[in-house]
Amino acid sequence: MSTAPQSPPTPPPTKIASPVPSARELILNGILAENPVFRLALSLCPAVAVTTTVANGLLLGVAVLCVQVLSSVTVSLAHGLIHPRVRIPVYTIIIAVWVSAIDMALQAFTPALYAQVGLYVKLIVAFAIIISRLEIFASRQPLAPSFFDGLGMGLGFLIALVTIGAFRELLGSGAIAGIPLAPGKPLLFFALPAGGFFSIGLLMAFFNWVERRAQGARAKAPSPSGGHGV
Amino acid sequence: MTLHVIQPRPRLTGREIGRIVLSMTMACLVGAAVLGAVYLGTDRYRRAATETSEREAIRDMLGLGADARLIEVRQYLAPALRRVVYLAAPFGGAAGRAREVIFTLDGALAGERSLSAPVAEPRGLLPLSRLFVALRGRELAGFVVEGRAQGYKSVIRFFVAMRPDFEIVDMRVIETQDDPGLGAEVAQPWFREQYVGRTAEEIAHLTVTRDPMPEDWKAALIAFARRAPDGPARHLALLQRERRRPVYAVTGATISSRAVTDGVKNTVDHFRRRWWLLAPHLEGQL
Repeated sequence: MSTAPQSPPTPPPTKIASPVPSARELILNGILAENPVFRLALSLCPAVAVTTTVANGLLLGVAVLCVQVLSSVTVSLAHGLIHPRVRIPVYTIIIAVWVSAIDMALQAFTPALYAQVGLYVKLIVAFAIIISRLEIFASRQPLAPSFFDGLGMGLGFLIALVTIGAFRELLGSGAIAGIPLAPGKPLLFFALPAGGFFSIGLLMAFFNWVERRAQGARAKAPSPSGGHGV
Repeated sequence: MTLHVIQPRPRLTGREIGRIVLSMTMACLVGAAVLGAVYLGTDRYRRAATETSEREAIRDMLGLGADARLIEVRQYLAPALRRVVYLAAPFGGAAGRAREVIFTLDGALAGERSLSAPVAEPRGLLPLSRLFVALRGRELAGFVVEGRAQGYKSVIRFFVAMRPDFEIVDMRVIETQDDPGLGAEVAQPWFREQYVGRTAEEIAHLTVTRDPMPEDWKAALIAFARRAPDGPARHLALLQRERRRPVYAVTGATISSRAVTDGVKNTVDHFRRRWWLLAPHLEGQL
């Protein structure tokens, strides 16, 4: 799908670097270059809390993906109506509405999984990654790029949670998605919170190494925004 | 050393404040509309999921096979008329007639009739509680009664399963919003299995202690809850000693432990008294 840069109907308050990247670039940006967990180090606490198994990580990842896309699209469509002085409270309301909607849907359609991770779904309201994408991107861009940015960031978070979940479940309980794989005594440490942070650190290092290798000699310093998000 | 002077923002005009209020109000109204729509769209599926899990819990608690029938009896209060209304119908909208029985507050019969179609939520009546009657053929197989207790933070909803002679066969916490690690721990199998095997008279005099639970009793309760082959025998052996002792509270959840125990006592006591009144009038259902 082509998303040639278009001028939005009302001039946005501030513009970030134009021209707007393509859909493919935006999605890959969320998954790799600015992966919320491995690159921006945002929302690490929930990432550690739910990733003891693949299934939990997958469900929370899908919930975050839906909330991110819906919130980005809503903010992109409504930014002309939001008074700049109260934009953060309004973004919070928008996120809370979509989180509550997803919460109700999960409760109705996946009651068994919801019983396990329902507690964390409500916490998505406070995820730093979602509100930061609304402030940095969706409030300054038209609908299509905001949609693909939300999709990329959501997919990046989902992939990160599933990867960490698989890593920790394999090492911590010797299984992936409940299927026993590794023989011998599992390393319980990786199922505990401290092991979760170590897992994220190891996976971050691994992705950095892969990226350096892929880029070869081309020197490009990664520019993580850093963060202390929830 | 440089001092950064924070520039004051321009003062807000009345017009600006009006726009801010409008912006926030619109966001809240649209949000409320979206949530209302999602609620209406998902409520049917949420109810169906709850009903399925309740049906499974009831069958599992009473150990019922596929041949057993379940009758759901809903109890309501009609505040204006000072009447208690019972609506009995096959559970989960299965085919069959419904029966309505009405009592005064002091337990005198005030009316009864059969209804051709199952009743949805009746208007103007306050729901009080629900109970389920299990039947094998025409023989009574047991009861499951819903009860509520005020826990530390939230209302704890539970099911108590009884044999036809009112001996407790199982107890399960169906819903609690209390904190994991604290109040929510009353859902632990070793805690809730403490009621099992006690008669209605023993339940009526049950108390709660903060003393630590004897290790052998805890191990027997866990084996019983996990349905280990030797579980029932180990449970029965220690039950003779423990049935005259109080329920052992969960550490960190004393308030919820007391609340659930009082809830079970009240639920069983109310049910026994109501059942003698109600049973003769459910002829068409039983």
